[in-house]
Amino acid sequence: MAMASDLKKTFNASLTVNGAPWSGAVAIEETLLELLRNRLHLTGTKRSCESEVCGACTVLVDNQPMSSCNYLAFEAHQKSVITIEGVALGDELDPLQEAFIRNIGAQCGYCTPGQIMAAKALLIENPHPTREQIAEWLSGNICRCGAYGAIAQSILEAAQEYQK
Amino acid sequence: MIGSLELFQPTTVQEASQALAELGDKARIYAGGAELLLLLRNGLLQSEVLVDVKRIERLHRLEMDNGVLRIGACVTHHALENSALVREHAPALAYAESQVANVRVRNQGTLGGNLAFNDPHSDPGTVLLIHDAWLATGNQNSERRVALSDFFVDMYATALEAGDLLLEVEIPRLPAGMKSVYQRLHRYQRPTLGVAVGAAMRHGVIEEVRLAVGCVGPKAERLTELERKLSGAKLNDARRILSEETKYLRALLRPVDDLLGSADYKLYMTGVMLADALEQAGQNGNG
Repeated sequence: MAMASDLKKTFNASLTVNGAPWSGAVAIEETLLELLRNRLHLTGTKRSCESEVCGACTVLVDNQPMSSCNYLAFEAHQKSVITIEGVALGDELDPLQEAFIRNIGAQCGYCTPGQIMAAKALLIENPHPTREQIAEWLSGNICRCGAYGAIAQSILEAAQEYQK
Repeated sequence: MIGSLELFQPTTVQEASQALAELGDKARIYAGGAELLLLLRNGLLQSEVLVDVKRIERLHRLEMDNGVLRIGACVTHHALENSALVREHAPALAYAESQVANVRVRNQGTLGGNLAFNDPHSDPGTVLLIHDAWLATGNQNSERRVALSDFFVDMYATALEAGDLLLEVEIPRLPAGMKSVYQRLHRYQRPTLGVAVGAAMRHGVIEEVRLAVGCVGPKAERLTELERKLSGAKLNDARRILSEETKYLRALLRPVDDLLGSADYKLYMTGVMLADALEQAGQNGNG
């Protein structure tokens, strides 16, 4: 079989994580969530449903929201990954983070990193979303505490802030 | 945790097909993993090798070709919902694509993967049935075209044979004057029911109509017999006609009781939503 040598057990990936370059071998079955949490110790990204339903593990890959629990790490090769740890500029919080704090857009907070990353992706694709567009986009980010009203309000306010 | 995997990244259909033929059940086609990785993680499917087909350039095309829209198997749902070409040529498909699961799944999942997986609770296939779509499949020896209605064999089963790849979806234009609509009912991310309607109407009379229903039973179906009954009927009578077709719908759609609802509920809602969709088609459809 000519292709046996073409089968890879690991992949040498080079990516950026929150702007910093990272290179290393990843197992083919290793998810981006496992790489981020277990090897890079970026534990802001949460593991929850592991079936692309809840949104707790949302990160940006080339500015697109992805479920890092169900996304193989090798796919991030030559791409930019942004996690919740990469949203603030040093000590300066992102307008989304400020707005979530101001509006109490969380209760237990477990879904919050995913909510903020999903919102970040929305504002990149659509800087002026309506409340309905926010609800539609965030329909895949579940908040069991039910902070949806405050989450939507936070995103509306952050959109205004970004335009200043 | 997903079990140990190896990766093969072919750049041609021939290489991919040859690997699939040689490796047999050990290998699975991998396009994005939105469905496959869930099955592997939960032990519903075993695999040792992923044959990643995303490096095959042809599977990424999205273009018009003599009035037919050609969509490569690896084009993502998110690319399709945002495509001006899809919105213009098949507006109900663009709408259905915008409703698939959530934005993360739409970024990762592909149209080809969705059709080849043939999960009964899915959106795009139902719309493609009213377009009389064809699928191009290929292996290391040859290519063939299969009508979508023949491609869907049963729940999670398609006409793909060992070593076959789904290459692209061919979507003919709807007949002139026909407006199309997709409507879905959902409690969770996967739809409970999806209906697609194409209808040409004049002065309140349905001149030509195409109907498809998905999610209710094992696979999405065209309702050809009901299409004949509705042709020439007044739009105002459509709701009554549909409500009298429960027996036909039950036999064709084979609805089941599940967590999304009882078979009776799904059948009842099928009639309601087909009528709603016909009315929406009378008012320009999905655009």
